[in-house]
Amino acid sequence: MDLSLYAREGEREFVELTRSFVRKSVQPLFGDNAPDGDLGMVPSILDTAFEVGLAASPHSGMPGFEYGIWGTSADNPEGVRLSAILLSVVAEACPGIAMNLHVQGLASRIITSSKGSFPEPPVRVAAALQEGHTLPGFRAVLGQGRGPDDGIGTRALPTEKGWAITGTKSFVYSMEKADAFLVFCRIEGRSGKEDTGCLLVPADATGLKLQDIGGRTGIRACRLSHLILKDVEVSSECRFLPADDFPLMGQALCLHWLGISAMAAGNASGALKAAREYAATRYQGGAMIEEHPAVRKLLALSEARVEAAFALLVQTCSFAGGNTDFLRRCAIAKLMTTDWAFSAVTDALQVFGGYGYMEDYCMEKRLRDAIVLKSAAGSRNYLEAFISDAARGEI
Amino acid sequence: MRRENLDFQARVDALRPVNASKHLDFFGKLLMDNREMTIWEHDTRLLPAGARIWRRRAKDFARRYIRPDAARADSRPREYDPRPIISQAARKGFQTLLLALPLGTAFPGSYFLKSASFQVAVVAEEFAVESGGIALLLMAHHLGCAPLILSGHTPTILRHLLPLYARTLKGKPEIMAFAITEPGAGSDVEETEGGAKARLVTTARQVDGGFVINGRKCFISNGALADKVTLFAKLEGEGLESWTCFLIEKGMEGYSIGRQEHKLGQRASDASELILDDVRVPNRNVVGRLRSGWANNRNVLNYSRPVVGAMALGHARGAFESALKFCRNTMLGGKRLIDYQDIQIELADMIVKLWSARALIWHSCSQFRCYQSASAAAKVAASDISFEVCTKALEIMGDHGYLESSGAERLWRDSRLTQIYEGTNQINRLAVIEHQWAEITAGSDGRD
Repeated sequence: MDLSLYAREGEREFVELTRSFVRKSVQPLFGDNAPDGDLGMVPSILDTAFEVGLAASPHSGMPGFEYGIWGTSADNPEGVRLSAILLSVVAEACPGIAMNLHVQGLASRIITSSKGSFPEPPVRVAAALQEGHTLPGFRAVLGQGRGPDDGIGTRALPTEKGWAITGTKSFVYSMEKADAFLVFCRIEGRSGKEDTGCLLVPADATGLKLQDIGGRTGIRACRLSHLILKDVEVSSECRFLPADDFPLMGQALCLHWLGISAMAAGNASGALKAAREYAATRYQGGAMIEEHPAVRKLLALSEARVEAAFALLVQTCSFAGGNTDFLRRCAIAKLMTTDWAFSAVTDALQVFGGYGYMEDYCMEKRLRDAIVLKSAAGSRNYLEAFISDAARGEI
Repeated sequence: MRRENLDFQARVDALRPVNASKHLDFFGKLLMDNREMTIWEHDTRLLPAGARIWRRRAKDFARRYIRPDAARADSRPREYDPRPIISQAARKGFQTLLLALPLGTAFPGSYFLKSASFQVAVVAEEFAVESGGIALLLMAHHLGCAPLILSGHTPTILRHLLPLYARTLKGKPEIMAFAITEPGAGSDVEETEGGAKARLVTTARQVDGGFVINGRKCFISNGALADKVTLFAKLEGEGLESWTCFLIEKGMEGYSIGRQEHKLGQRASDASELILDDVRVPNRNVVGRLRSGWANNRNVLNYSRPVVGAMALGHARGAFESALKFCRNTMLGGKRLIDYQDIQIELADMIVKLWSARALIWHSCSQFRCYQSASAAAKVAASDISFEVCTKALEIMGDHGYLESSGAERLWRDSRLTQIYEGTNQINRLAVIEHQWAEITAGSDGRD
């Protein structure tokens, strides 16, 4: 019941490094009584993640440039799988910290895999994919959208030196000190022709505002905000283009869905381990509760779902590549793994009885994180429609 | 709009049952119900007159008094003062529903033709739509009162319940709580076989003029707030068979409140540890006969589980209503979310589940005595449905769902507890089997 079992020879040292990071840096987060740990510690934990090379960065001088989570080594199925494994290991302890590493890696990977001439890449980045209620539909992701109704209303109009961007990107997860954002929008060329593309916007650009999202139920260790852009001017070098025919938005969604799947599976695996431990030590009804048929049933179902999530995730990684088939598979992985993981967490919580509902064993936090991973970045309805369109080959 | 579209729309309108029914004969029309009415109104009209009145009153009370407090009571439970809303509920008669008029406020028709729980369940759903925590705050009081009635012990009722109800009706409510769970025995005390093996510590030692009680209870809803607690203890030197219910009063020497839990939801009502350190309880505070506690406790659960089911249903209905509002107000691809058929299917699925839960809850307390299998089944079905519907409500709203501002997020957290308290749903499933054991084991082929 551990995704790291899927790590191959030569990859285990990365898993061990990640475990060591989790032990030394992430677990102390939960030393006090706050339900989500001491969130004031998050910046220093992320600094450590950069130092040990776990956090990827588009900046080639950073330790995680190549082998960090979604670093440049994630340019093939093995690299993608390894990043997913490492994410799940972190998420087993804290999905919020994992989310920070994931969004950083995702944006880094888009930058490093694309054609762009940005002179000095930023260190900390995040991708802004969504607008309004949900992500763009299948056609819009592939650059075949038909206007704002398809989910990309943010527009970049040509200026003398580049573009001026106006619009709102919603639900943007990012590190607290992000240097820049990758904004997916409609870009109008000088000829007047519109294209879907991606622009790098420095966090301190004039006209860019981060709007706080207010209270939320989980993944609180990672900043979540709306990005409001009003005539934000960026230079022409800020535009990134895909290295091949597959649009950057599609590439970003593939990694986003895989990452969320990996975090959901890791979170569920952590919940299951905690439930097993508790069941082996809690005496009730004349025996340890792990002997009770009702508890065994809960644990067995939880384990089956965690394993199924891992298997689907690893299988999906093996198809990694820039094509619509992989995109469809990633949507399926997100739909199913987050669902299985959520059920696994709620079953694991039930093993604790009343204690599962209290903050003491962190099971309630795991449930809160699980529902966020299930609902974020594409609801069930959105994913079903997306998969259906993709399966029909609607391009 | 183009002419063919207009023609098509006109044909669709003509085919709607409400319009098509004009072609029926008089009696045909009479037999077809085309009234435009909400599900809530349809269901309310199904109820006997007394319960119908309480349903309307409860909905009104929940909107006027619970809704404004709901978010604050959840986010700052330690700062929230529940006394004003309890007094308000008492003045309106919501805290004295376990007895029929004139001793209490339940309407006699629904009370005797249905059960004592029926009107409480109807009210619980309405309260829980707005806030799980405040609903629990108000409903846990009934749970605390239930052993006094279900003991069937006239002196107990005369001595304790009637004066308490009289004071409550005068607007000076006393808050009750119910204490069975112990740190080492949660589900044990809600199930027969578990009970036989339970390791209970709370013990009553008989002394001159009463009992001295030592021990601890945990996770007691309203434990810190309650003025009086119906608390169960075994007699010294005996097992669970000797369980006896005692009425513990705030201020008794040796009685104190320990740890207060930090919960995922239902935060307006505290879940506290009760510490009993040589608490001297006079004989007059023994509820019912000695050693009648186990039977009394099991019967209390029979009467309370439909109410827990109703609370679960309320959470789900509240989350559903939030999702519905979101779907009405959110545009996607040039039309409202509600106009998408796949969303309509999801919403219909939720409606079907809510309706089926309500049907089972009302069925489970629709005869004078609540019984174990039906009560447990209602609690399991409603709480499982509730968490499923709440989860679906959050999912439909996508990223907006998990924001505190969604309205559904808090109810989703509240809902999860209903699968755990009043016996976990696993224990409740066993309760269904236990009660129907003779039927289940009759005949080798499962037939009579």
